[in-house]
Amino acid sequence: MIKSHPSEQLLVGYVAGELTPAMLMVVGTHVDMCPHCQQQVQDIEEQLAQKVMQNSSRVSSQLSIAEADAMLERIFNSQQGIQQPVAHEVNNLISLDGKRFTLPPTLARNSRHIGEWQHMVSHLWRAPVQVDEEQPLNLIYMSEGAQVPEHTHKGQEATVVINGVFHDEFDEYRDGDFILLDGHHKHTPATQAEDCLTLATLDAPMQFTSGISRLLNPFSSLFFR
Amino acid sequence: MSTAQPDSAEHAASLLVEIATNRNRRAFSELFHHFAPKLQAYATRQFGNEQTAMDLVQETMTNVWHKAHLFKPDRGSAATWIFTIARNIRFDFLRKNKHRQYDLSADDLWPILAEQNDSLDDDYALDDDLLMQQLANYCEQLPVAQKTVIELIYVEGKSQQEVADALAIPLGTVKSRTRLALQKLKELIHSDD
Repeated sequence: MIKSHPSEQLLVGYVAGELTPAMLMVVGTHVDMCPHCQQQVQDIEEQLAQKVMQNSSRVSSQLSIAEADAMLERIFNSQQGIQQPVAHEVNNLISLDGKRFTLPPTLARNSRHIGEWQHMVSHLWRAPVQVDEEQPLNLIYMSEGAQVPEHTHKGQEATVVINGVFHDEFDEYRDGDFILLDGHHKHTPATQAEDCLTLATLDAPMQFTSGISRLLNPFSSLFFR
Repeated sequence: MSTAQPDSAEHAASLLVEIATNRNRRAFSELFHHFAPKLQAYATRQFGNEQTAMDLVQETMTNVWHKAHLFKPDRGSAATWIFTIARNIRFDFLRKNKHRQYDLSADDLWPILAEQNDSLDDDYALDDDLLMQQLANYCEQLPVAQKTVIELIYVEGKSQQEVADALAIPLGTVKSRTRLALQKLKELIHSDD
């Protein structure tokens, strides 16, 4: 049972297409996995559509009759499939270290953007998902018994659990859970008996805050890029 | 306000169905005259540019004309479907204008115009291996002659003529065996549903 969801504001941003690409992917992946938010998304779509499609009386620049006729003519003469998107290879499986994971549809449709796995530190692996030129998006894999040093963020960190379970000081997160943390939160993500695959985006580098892991700060770019 | 029929959701939906089934230009014109000005207003607010706004209207309505068969009345209203098409086109326009490096496309985020997106969306799709295994089981139930033809064509990728040559049988026989085998497979799959 998924218990952490994106805010309504984020879902509206998702439906309107007004989030960053990285954030659209994280929210979209949550929606893939969450029947509750799928219903929300459908409702928001109806509401936004009503707003867009109902306020015609205030339109200042109406299509002229000539423009409309010309456009209709072009549409009737257009060939189906001219702007057909190229069919990409869709791969809904990803493997690491002999383990196979099923990717939710949003990631599967974008599987061609997923880069190679890189081993970061002891229990952590990362594969970039290259969809956003400005904001990094990564698949992050924590094997059993992993612990990321306590850190905070300059910006926001959004995470969705794809498979497995991890916990921090606040809670425990499982398949489909969506977690949004900002600069006010310090946390120490860790796994125990189970491993965990997540999709995460950071909009500014992490800052390690505790003890010896402060020494890691120069390496925080490991997590960022 | 106006008595324009498409204001009623049922009517707009029925126009889409009419376009999908009969390629009815009059139905499309009616839908166009109702929605195009609204899309234009939306696009003008988004882009602040008349020409880009007109391009968005044209591209959205072109998709409506060609893809009306993808509209699913049980999933939402006609207005919503058309809005989501416009939303996707807006997203792609914005990325194209900024000459983005990655070819992220709106259809991969919101696959509303995919000819078949059910396979991925239900239970994140079938595992390919599992599917192949199930198909193999069904093939086992075919008569040997049909099974051989199916394996040569669909597993080994031979053409029907190559199969005819390999088995030294007439091409017509290969064709009829293929047809019968596919028909039988279809029955087997449906009977398991």
